[in-house]
Order: sequence, then C-alpha cells, then structure tokens
Amino acid sequence: MDKMINLKINGRQIRARSGQTVLEAAKAAGIDIPSLCHHPAITPHGACRICLVEIERQRTLQPACTFPVSEGMRVETESPKVVEERKFVLQMLFSERNHYCMFCEMSGDCELQALAYRYGMDRWTYQNPYPKIPVDGTRKYFIMDHNRCILCRRCIRACGELAANNTLGVKFRGAKTMISADMDSPFGESTCVACGTCLQVCPTGALIDRKSAYAGREAQVERTKSVCMFCSVGCGTEIISRSGRVLRVEGEWEEHNKGVLCVAGRFEPVYDNRARIKAPLVKKNGGLVPVAWDEALDTIAARLKTTKANKVGAWTTCKTLNLTMSEFVAVFRGKLGANVGVLEPTLAELELPVGGSLTELVSSDCILVIGADPLSDHRVLGYHIKRARARGASVLLVTENNDSTMGRFADRRFGYEELPRAIRTIQGCASPSVVYGAGTGQKAAEQLGVLKRKAHFIPVFPATNGYHAKVLSLQSGLNSTPLEMAYLLLEDISPGAEVLEWAKKAKFLVVHTSYQGPITETADVILPSLLWSEQEGSIYNLEGKKAAVRKAVPLPEGLIPENEVLTQLAARL
Amino acid sequence: MTKVKVAMDWLAACAGCEMSVLDTDERLVQLLEKIELTSTPITDLKHPPKEGVTVGILSGTVNNTTNLEVVKEMRERCKILIAMGDCAVFGGIMTMRNFFDTNEALKRAYVETESTVDGIIPNSEELCKPVKAVPVNQVVKVDIHLPGCPPSADAIYYVLSELLEGRIPVLSGENLKYD
Repeated sequence: MDKMINLKINGRQIRARSGQTVLEAAKAAGIDIPSLCHHPAITPHGACRICLVEIERQRTLQPACTFPVSEGMRVETESPKVVEERKFVLQMLFSERNHYCMFCEMSGDCELQALAYRYGMDRWTYQNPYPKIPVDGTRKYFIMDHNRCILCRRCIRACGELAANNTLGVKFRGAKTMISADMDSPFGESTCVACGTCLQVCPTGALIDRKSAYAGREAQVERTKSVCMFCSVGCGTEIISRSGRVLRVEGEWEEHNKGVLCVAGRFEPVYDNRARIKAPLVKKNGGLVPVAWDEALDTIAARLKTTKANKVGAWTTCKTLNLTMSEFVAVFRGKLGANVGVLEPTLAELELPVGGSLTELVSSDCILVIGADPLSDHRVLGYHIKRARARGASVLLVTENNDSTMGRFADRRFGYEELPRAIRTIQGCASPSVVYGAGTGQKAAEQLGVLKRKAHFIPVFPATNGYHAKVLSLQSGLNSTPLEMAYLLLEDISPGAEVLEWAKKAKFLVVHTSYQGPITETADVILPSLLWSEQEGSIYNLEGKKAAVRKAVPLPEGLIPENEVLTQLAARL
Repeated sequence: MTKVKVAMDWLAACAGCEMSVLDTDERLVQLLEKIELTSTPITDLKHPPKEGVTVGILSGTVNNTTNLEVVKEMRERCKILIAMGDCAVFGGIMTMRNFFDTNEALKRAYVETESTVDGIIPNSEELCKPVKAVPVNQVVKVDIHLPGCPPSADAIYYVLSELLEGRIPVLSGENLKYD
C-alpha cells in the first residue's frame, strides 16, 4: 500500500502518495503548475525548466515534474521568485531559435506561445542570434521545422516509450543540439514508421501535419471520438473535421491504444483518393447508369425472387459495423436462406480464447506470437509487443515466414513443429500472452489449448471486426459452387484476385462498395456504401469490447447507411 | 487642453500596422480630439517636428541604413517611443534575410528575379545600404512594445488611451497577441 505524504503547496495542506512528484501531487489537488516538456503519457524529463518551483530548504528552484514529494515539504508555485525565474526561462527559450508566430501553423494553439501570453511577454530581452536552422520535409505526412523546436524531447520519449520504435534522439550538444533520427538520417529515410505519435505530442509548431496545416485552429474545428477501422486492433481515434471535411486523425488518449496510432489509421485514410461511387448504378445497354435507390433495389429484389436461394451467395467483408453485419445475416441467411459468409478468416475454427488486452500484453513477461505478423498489418499491437519487450518480456515467434517483421524483435524463433517446446517455455512464465493469427492452423491451436487457463489470448483477426463475424458464426472463405447471383458487401476494401475471379463466375453480381475498381467493372448493380468517417455504429476492438464508430462528416448527398439499404431490400422480398 | 503630439513612421514594413490603426474606425476620430498627428505615413510629412513630440510610433524592422537614421531621429524627438507590430518588436519576417549573405540576397533580388533582364544591383551613393535586420529595441531604447501582426485595433486603441490617461499600458489577454 502506498504511504500517504502530507505537504503544503502555496500554503494549502495537501495529501499525496509516496513516490509521486510535486507536479503530480499539485495536479491531483487542482493546483496548476505550468510545464512544456511534461506529458502525462510519457516519463517526466525536466528539460524545459518551466515547472521550476520554490521548495523550502532547497538551495535552488526545483523542477516539480521530477522532484519527489516528501513529508512536511513546503512548495511555492507562483511566488515572485518563481514567476521571475519562469519569465527568464521563457526568454531563454525564445532567444535560442527563430520563434516567429506570425506565420506559424500552430499559432493560437501553441503551448510555448500560451505560456508567453500567460506571463505577459511583450518583448525579447535577449538578442536573437539568428541561427540558420533547417526544416526537414522528407517525411511524407508531416514536417519537422527545427526553428520552432524547444528540445523538450517529447517526440523522443513518445517514439521510444509509446511506439517503441526508438528512431529519434538528439545529436550534438549545447546550442547545437538537434533532434535527429537514427545516425542523423533525414527523417523520411530513417527507421521512422510514420506512426505520428511524436506529431501528436509536440507542444509547438515544430512538427506539423501536412494535410491539415493552416486548415483550422482548435476553436474552429470539431472533434469526433471514433474508432479506426483499418485493422482489428480498433484503436480509439479523434477525427478532426471542419465544415464537413476531415482534416486529420489523432489517437484517443483514454482508449486502449492510449493515443498511439499507426500510419494506416492516422494518415492513409485521409489521403485516400480513389474514385468514389456517388449513386446506385445499374447496367443498362452495356454501361453502368446512375439510377434512384428504388430502381436499384427493385432490380436486385426482382432478381432475388426469381433465383433459388441455394444459388444465391451473399458475402461481406468483416470490415463493417456490427449493425450492418447483423442485418446482412438477417436478410440473406434469415429471410432468404441463401449462402452467407465473410471474405476474411474469423479464427473461429481455432477455438482459442479471446479477451486479452494491450495493457495485459505490455505487462506480460513472455509473449508467444504465432501465425501472425503484427508489425506489418496490426502495427499498434506490434508496438505494444515491442513495449513489453522493452520492459523485459521475452518474445517467442512461431513462424515459417523468413520475412516476418517480428523477426528482429523475437528472442527465440520456432518452426511450427517446434511449437511444443515453445509452449513448455511459456508454461514456466508468470504472466504469459499468446498472440495468434490466421496462420495458426488447427493442429497448433489444439496444442495451444493447454495454455488456456494461464495465458492472455489476443486474436489477430485479418480484418476489422472479425470478432463480430466470429460471434455470428459466419463461414469464412468463398464457396466454390457456381452461383446464379452474388451480393458482395465490400465497404471500402479493394478485393484481391480470388474474389474477382469468383465474382466473374456469378451470372448476376451486386457490389455494395464505396470506390470504383476492377470489381465494380464486372457488376450488374452497384450500391454506394459509406466511408469510415461517415459511419455510425459500433465494432468490436482487439479486446472484444464494443467501440463506437461515430460519423465526423455529414453523409454525401443521396447516400444511405448500409444497414438501412439492407432493410429496404428486405422489405421488398 | 493642448493636444498630445504624436509622430509615426515606418521602417521595413508592410503597412498592416497602419491599416490596423485605421481599423480603430470612429475611435480614431475621438482620439483626434486629444491627439495631434504630426508626421505619419498617412499625413506624409517626412520628419517629426524639431521641437519634438510626446509619443512616437515605429512599425517595421530595422533593415537598412536609412531605417537606422529614422529610428535615431524618432528616439531623439519622441519622449515616449512605441514599437508597434511584430517587426518592430521582435524583428519579424525581415529577419529571414539574416540567414543569408547580404550580397547573395541583393543578387537574388535585383539580378536573378525571374522577370528581370540584365539586372544590376543599384549602387548609387545616395542609396542606403542593407544592415542586419533587427527589432527597434536593438538600436535604441523602446518604451512600449506592442506586438501583433498586426496588433488589433483594440490593442492599439488601448495603448493610446492608457497613455492619454497618464498610465503605462500593460498588455494582456486579447491585447497581447503575436500573430
């Protein structure tokens, strides 16, 4: 049990826990001590010196963010001495580089500027030496302007502690200190994985997102809490939008990913520029013609009524809302009795547990990764495996894939036939985790059964919301019987060759999707679907918890949510 | 009551601050009952009166030798000197030139410009020479700093009214902005 400590801050009696810093204790008591390099998600550093406070019997002012509380301590956080020192530190920070606000993207939301306003800085007391400082624009999605950097090292700590990538560090010393990547590579050519965690924590305009630069200040934009739909990890996101347009995506600090996203969730969706389907289309006279919803749905219903149910195949991607998937099953299996399934594996046949969380993973002492390659397609899960490793966990990788991205971060590698040895190793650990994917296979799954009561099991579904498909017992994989009619709900995925081949064999093809592509060229009816930023509903995340997908922008004119389309179709049958 | 004499001048400036002064709208007319504008970019007199004025306002970066002369003259002839705008207070955009060699900058401006044919760098004796671009307070003592790009009309009005009431203005809240 933590010992309670009594101390006084600004004359107020406060109780704190032993081991807390002065800053933590003050914050818990509602006392605001300003800071710049401090961030609740990363370890305190004491770099910026803004949080300096007066502590009785200490010879000099001390940084509240790193100084531990002790019994009977007396602290002053806004005494004249502290305020004078803080103003001095601010002058030092501004004098070091070129901090010109008038053309800075961050002006208005900058933490450094906010402090300068708070302490009434109306001039610079020290002459700016005008150092020529570079701007690094080599990354694809965001820019590093060293002129605005205050060397708080939040980016370095985020890269190391949150993304566990350890790309960033500093080079040189003193006035020449610069944030750098690897052995001083341009950021875009370094081991940076473009997760953007550093971008999210930067307090000034040093790191700037390209797409949303100058597009709106905090007071002008809307934030919508949602879930990323790229993979089955289901990271919590905040979609920043303005006037019905998505500006950028940030990681939600309160959700299980704790602010961390990967390039596929933070940047790529905002850069998607495939051609969007804007209205229902029906093949007439050799071409696809836009029609009203009624006509499109009537056409499909008419065809369904005249086709034997066992010759109808309805397949959906897992990457869709709970509501949509349930409605899909209700209409095509329940009402019609057609062949129904999902395009991607659901891991149901493995009969392994689910429910392990990222938090449990990070505190594991041993992690078995089998049949999955998290760092390539479930990156945030991969980052958390690396974080566990940084805390001393050993990673056992079971794979036949020589190009596995987990290879470099595995302590031991096993082929599938050596799995029993890996399992024996795990059984000797105190809190193991098993991360299993679609490549696991029946035999391996049976062998892993012995760990069911001991380990946290984390499923790596190949597609988002595979969890719900498993819950609904949906068969995965297309069946090969020739079909008279096929209905494919694809959302925004671009299906591979296997699906394309299968779809071509159906006599009548309905494709329900967001973007034009090879699959829509062969379709008889195309129905437009919504995008990730327009969806409203829920999906299951990695832990098997329901996560709310909320729409951040209004629906484009004439589009209807997928589940409503299915309901309207069912009404015609 | 005699009106308070005010002089204004601009250095390497974009006139945004002057536009902001005009943006005080009708309040300027009220101010003119208490202040007398002597030399300003708007009244287009080139020097403040020899006997001096009470308040001087400078906008723009100190950018060349002529700017240095203007600054020094303003400091001599104005009792209270105000640096108005980010360029006069912090140095502003002009300071970007400091990262480059002066001759290279002159070449880029007069010879290498895309629409110039056979350009030469002007070198008449009467012309000023570029100096390191600095804020006004690096050349003379400044009494009041009014940052902003430009400072809002409200902030400008606040500073002038405080001075007219005999107080040194202290900027805070909406009046203290750097953009």
